Amino acid sequence: MINRTLSNVVLALIVVIWVVPFIALVATSLRSEMATKTSGFWTSFTPTILGHRFSTHDKTEVLKSNELRGNIFKRINKDQDWFPVSGNIESIMFKGRVPDPNNPDKTILMKKLVPVGETMEVRGGDFIFETNGDFVWTFPDGSKLKPKKLDVFVNQDPVFAPEAYVEVLIDNENVPNALISSFIVTIPATIIPITIAAFAAYAFAWMRFPGRDWIFIGVVTLMIVPTQLAFLPILQGFNGIASWMMALQELLTDCEATDSCAVPSKSFAGLWITHTAFGQPLAIYLLRNYIVGLPKELLESARIDGASHMQIFLKIILPLSVPALASFAIFQFLWIWNDLLVALYIGPSSSGERVFPILLEQQLGTFGDQLHLLNASAVISMVVPVIVFLAMQRYFIRGLLAGSVKGG
Amino acid sequence: MRSIMNIIASNGLAIILTVICVLPITAIFAYSLSAPLDDLFSNLGLWLRETQGWSLAPIEAELRFAKISFALRSVVIAVGISSLYFWITNWLNSGLARVREKKSIGRQSAIIEAIQPWIFVGPALVLLTLFLVVPAFMTLGISFQEANGTLTTNNYSFLWDPKALGYVQFRFAMRNSLMWLILVPTFCIIFGLAVAVLADSLRWGVVAKTFIFVPMAISFVGAAVIWRNIFAGGGIEAQQVINGFTPSYQTGLLKSILGHSPSYNEPLYNLKFWGNFFLMWIMVWIKTGFAMVIFSAALRGVPKETVEAAIIDGANPWQLFFKIKLPQIYSTVVVVWTYMVTEVLKVFDIPYALSANDDDKLLLATMMEAAKNTWSIGGDAVDNLFAAIAIMLMITVIPHMIFNAWRLRKEQKELGN
Repeated sequence: MINRTLSNVVLALIVVIWVVPFIALVATSLRSEMATKTSGFWTSFTPTILGHRFSTHDKTEVLKSNELRGNIFKRINKDQDWFPVSGNIESIMFKGRVPDPNNPDKTILMKKLVPVGETMEVRGGDFIFETNGDFVWTFPDGSKLKPKKLDVFVNQDPVFAPEAYVEVLIDNENVPNALISSFIVTIPATIIPITIAAFAAYAFAWMRFPGRDWIFIGVVTLMIVPTQLAFLPILQGFNGIASWMMALQELLTDCEATDSCAVPSKSFAGLWITHTAFGQPLAIYLLRNYIVGLPKELLESARIDGASHMQIFLKIILPLSVPALASFAIFQFLWIWNDLLVALYIGPSSSGERVFPILLEQQLGTFGDQLHLLNASAVISMVVPVIVFLAMQRYFIRGLLAGSVKGG
Repeated sequence: MRSIMNIIASNGLAIILTVICVLPITAIFAYSLSAPLDDLFSNLGLWLRETQGWSLAPIEAELRFAKISFALRSVVIAVGISSLYFWITNWLNSGLARVREKKSIGRQSAIIEAIQPWIFVGPALVLLTLFLVVPAFMTLGISFQEANGTLTTNNYSFLWDPKALGYVQFRFAMRNSLMWLILVPTFCIIFGLAVAVLADSLRWGVVAKTFIFVPMAISFVGAAVIWRNIFAGGGIEAQQVINGFTPSYQTGLLKSILGHSPSYNEPLYNLKFWGNFFLMWIMVWIKTGFAMVIFSAALRGVPKETVEAAIIDGANPWQLFFKIKLPQIYSTVVVVWTYMVTEVLKVFDIPYALSANDDDKLLLATMMEAAKNTWSIGGDAVDNLFAAIAIMLMITVIPHMIFNAWRLRKEQKELGN
């Protein structure tokens, strides 16, 4: 019994630790800029005392009598589109010049926290306010009062709004561009490796050729090689190809006239082929282990009937391997969508062609105090992989287990 | 026998030459023929912008749709080229064999059989050779050169010599890599095992497992953004910038819980030395799901009889786990361990995103980037230095490569192949 409770508590604790960051992420992205700057996300779920500034009335407003009535919330919310303030007024921080008690000719600057219900002297008039925000300002007849800006503390009700999402998705180009770039990089780089790896996996599984096992082990071991090792020479190679293509273009087209001969050496195409190569070891490993497990009689009977390897592969193996293909596709999709390193070194560097991880990394620097925007872009960057991941969990787990657990 | 080898070699050569000639030309043709599609797409973009009333600049709409069109036709062309490759090679292979050995069917099929596997594995092997194996050796070469090409070991002494500039950074990188290497896999395995064991015995275990699992879908940079909300330092003091006062101006949850003094306004991961542990934690958070999935599958594979026997003998849950279950999944723990170690050695994004310029948080992978930035002024051997650090990184990985090759060999034997 005690054990059971203990298990529940420990597991719940771990889950909480794992989930709270997500709550923080989403909550922060739905708050206002001011709120994210001045308080932590956990204060956004309960009424919190926050400071606001309001002006008593508009400059153009003509005061008729010797009394001004208004509502603080209305004044604050005048230019709030997204995050209307509601709640209870706590107090007003009065800042202003009052007659110096020691020296009647002069005034001193005073800062005082005035609670609800207490009268305070503003510009020679009496200012009194209530919890619900109503205020009355009485002043000597005939005086033309300028609007006064006051700082008010409001015990504010929680308020969330998708302002940050609208800003990063519609008002700003970076996030939509990154979203498009990420798709452009990810989809070809997921599809292309599969076509190549599937044939190789079949050969490693069911064909006989000298050195097969050792080549297979060599290929799979390459999975561990840090990709950094290859960046410099690959870039040199792409530079070479780019200048070669530029020369070709100069030769064939009239690009010199429009000054458009330059071919960038860091491009989407470079990323696709590099990811295709880097993805091969895992793809071959997963697919081969799957194909080896298919019943051998299939192959043998087809061979006896005179089918070529090509036919066997296309007609029998490929349709049967769909689960393994799917599990590799998810791995590759997630890996490329989330990849920063290869994109940083090999991928295009212009601001319109940045993929999401690069954009986020740069926003971590530039949006240091616009956390709502940073978190909103992060949420947008995660929506796609998390949906893919949750929808195809089964295949992902199957892929993970291939080879690491017997019979998994 | 001798003659059949010759035929195989010459047929193979013929196939290779055909492929080298035909495929690139086809690709170039396909790209130039489908180029008008880009214009079509950019016009579509313009039209959509007009009709849908997008606030986008016209040139942006054009560029975006041109990019999308380029990607689409690239997918089609790439898949087409690879189908063409397999079709041409297959056709050539059987055709050439038939021409060379008109009469003898047996020799015909022997030739086909000998070449066919290489056709299948060819593209993958060529890609891996061009993009991993050859570059790796070239990097090794570059690391032993000066910028002008003369042979030298300066790049390594720059890292290892206490008097050299790079020594301090390199020492930090090695220290941190070692800490990551020990702590991250350990914690992932402990948490992974704990969740696997607990979740399997509780009714809501599946839900719990999903929550632990989701971070695996998230990028390291995204995780850095997420945990920034927890580890952040104080926000801006309310009165200074914005109208008014707020009771808590800690914007980081953990600092607020720990009651960290507001005078230290930096995020927790900026702490000297101790900051490293917060960065490591982000990695643990992401990778625990992996350990958990594998362990819970392995635990399910533990024979029921052994567990039941132990229960009958009066073993308590702790004994059951440590004496019965754990020894049986020991090999799985080792597999997870090696996987984690290689992941940790390659980790780059987390420290790069959160503390790129801090020597105290360097890892080997981030040091490469740092070296590029720090010493690029005046020092034109930066690329060579970069290569040298990459080689150091490779050296740390080699033991795992050997271990994995050995494990694979064993696995292949067990698979009966």
